[in-house]
Amino acid sequence: MIEVRNLSKTFGPHTALTGVNLCVAAGEWVTLAGPNGAGKTTLLRLLATLSRPTSGDLRLCGLDSRTQSNAIRQQLGFLSHRTLLYDDLTAAQNLAFYARAYGQPDGPARIAALLEQFQLTTRQHDLVATYSRGMQQRLALARALLHRPRLLLLDEPYTGLDPLACDALTQLLVELHAGGCTLLLTTHTLESHALGQRAVILRKGRVIHDAPLKDRAAFPTLYRQLLEQKSVPPDLPFATCDLPPAVCSLPPAACGLPLAVWAIVAKDLAAEWHTREIFSAMAVFAALTLLIFSFALDLRGAVARAAAPGVLWCAIAFAGTLGLSRSLAREQQTGGMEGLLLAPLNRVALYFGKALGNLLLMLALQAVLLPLATVLFDVPLLQGALLPIFFAGTLGYAAVGTLLAAIAVNTRAREVLLPILLLPLVTPLLIATVRATGGLLDGLAWAEIAAWWQLLVVYDLVMVAVAMLTFGFVVEE
Amino acid sequence: MKREWNTKVDLLLAGLSVIVFLGALGMVFFYAPREATLGEVQRIFYFHVASAWVGFFGFFVTFLGGALYLMQGQRRWDILALASAEIGLTFITMTLLTGMLWAKPAWGVYWTWEPRLTISAVQWLLYLAYVMLRSSVSAAGSGPEREARFAAVYGIVAFTTVPLSWFAIRWWRTIHPQVFSASGMAITPKMLTTLLISLAAFTVLYGTLLRARMQLEHERDHLAALRCERDEED
Repeated sequence: MIEVRNLSKTFGPHTALTGVNLCVAAGEWVTLAGPNGAGKTTLLRLLATLSRPTSGDLRLCGLDSRTQSNAIRQQLGFLSHRTLLYDDLTAAQNLAFYARAYGQPDGPARIAALLEQFQLTTRQHDLVATYSRGMQQRLALARALLHRPRLLLLDEPYTGLDPLACDALTQLLVELHAGGCTLLLTTHTLESHALGQRAVILRKGRVIHDAPLKDRAAFPTLYRQLLEQKSVPPDLPFATCDLPPAVCSLPPAACGLPLAVWAIVAKDLAAEWHTREIFSAMAVFAALTLLIFSFALDLRGAVARAAAPGVLWCAIAFAGTLGLSRSLAREQQTGGMEGLLLAPLNRVALYFGKALGNLLLMLALQAVLLPLATVLFDVPLLQGALLPIFFAGTLGYAAVGTLLAAIAVNTRAREVLLPILLLPLVTPLLIATVRATGGLLDGLAWAEIAAWWQLLVVYDLVMVAVAMLTFGFVVEE
Repeated sequence: MKREWNTKVDLLLAGLSVIVFLGALGMVFFYAPREATLGEVQRIFYFHVASAWVGFFGFFVTFLGGALYLMQGQRRWDILALASAEIGLTFITMTLLTGMLWAKPAWGVYWTWEPRLTISAVQWLLYLAYVMLRSSVSAAGSGPEREARFAAVYGIVAFTTVPLSWFAIRWWRTIHPQVFSASGMAITPKMLTTLLISLAAFTVLYGTLLRARMQLEHERDHLAALRCERDEED
């Protein structure tokens, strides 16, 4: 099921894993132990295809992790430190989203069964944010098992659970193992919980012990002895599995691009429907910008008419930046982006899903903003001829903004960095939209603003293409 | 052996930079004729154009380094992109300052939304954002690979917007003197020779600074690796 050969992972000068060899046969239950910083989580993330190895080979279910990662993702479930759930969605909505992402044909029935199994049926329509830690962990397990994975990776699954919940989790793992699921779980404490059939110990990024667990009671002592040794033992060579290798048929392809995009958009809109935090913040901020400009510059008559397009697009740009930032921060909060990356979704679908959600929010903002600007500046902004300009301008802004928001959300100064990154890049877009809007308001024909219109179209095409090609590099570890 | 060779190349480049730069200065002040309308202040033009050229070229190298990093994942391309961006930012800053110094006697104001000044300002903001992005990713502890990837993506997106910004700003308004036009050049042959020597001097200086900055980054990597080794031994 798992074949790891000479696997290494470095983060700059720091070496997290060195020459790791590991073979896990189908149906095995392996515990990966080691102190903090030994490389357990790094190894698990590599196995989960969330991270790329620096060198070495990694095959899961006979599939190459570099070239067949989506097929691998369909076969594995991953329980991370974080729940990978969306706080702003209900349990049922979270599972429905992942069911679509994994292309589960029996989604509703499977969700109902899992909610029942994990005793969450009565709370299925409550927001996850209102759940206790134990309930969130149960729901996270339901998410990991939703697509019936053949391999389950669990990173410190007992952390934060009370004794009763620990027992329930152990019971579930025993049942899954009995059902043929391969289990690989990490732990740094070896007390009382299930340890499986085999233990692998990692120390300073190297495998220092790999043997069947014959005497579980003696294992904690052996573990401490191995860790207390001053010198790190030599790397263990690659050993072929004793058990027959897993023969995994390639799973059916996950949902196609349009369905995947729709799943992400529907999830974002549902989260926004529950909280209304992004839209309301954008609308109020944009309205304030219009009011402040109108008041401070004392815009009236012809001056107001001339300034209206510029002020309006400034308000849209500023409020848009606010919304883009929040939209991607929502993904980061509880590891939603990690959940998206775990699903067998094309990275292009991820980009289009996020960008389309942002585009819809910005268009909704304009539906509120245009009547207000019409009243404030006394200009006929509510006319059909302006719609293509507003759409093209917003599309370009959402296209490049989504990419940069995905970058900014991983930085320290995330709240302030996005406008610094984004605004210089949208210079041609803002000039073109302001000039085209102004031209149409002045009664110019389409032919007379053709240059601006063409520039907008070219900008949109270039930005969508570049963002589509580079989004994967931004979101992956 | 390699270290000795590197030192020799460094000395050679530094010496060449000094010679070419002194030559360019001599030509700007003693060879190029005095411009009839603007007088002595016109001589700033040789520094303005040359620094703008290096700034734009530096941005192209940053784009190239970023694209190669994304394709091959080799740290050396990221170092090239970073070094070129920082040097480019310095030269574009010089372009803006010399442009403003020239604009005051020529147009009566230090700043006007003239296309070339505007595109330089936009580019300066892009470079600044690039440097700030790297610093902010690094401070967040996201790891050097992530910093390199984010910077590469930003460098690529930023570079692709430059021609679009150029068209947008140029169509927006144009009042800049046309040094090179379809009908011929508005400068004398002596001025052109001086300009070409200035361009060469700034390009050599760019190469020297680029090499030095890249070496500094390699040394930093080496130091970080030694620190990591020491920590792991402890």
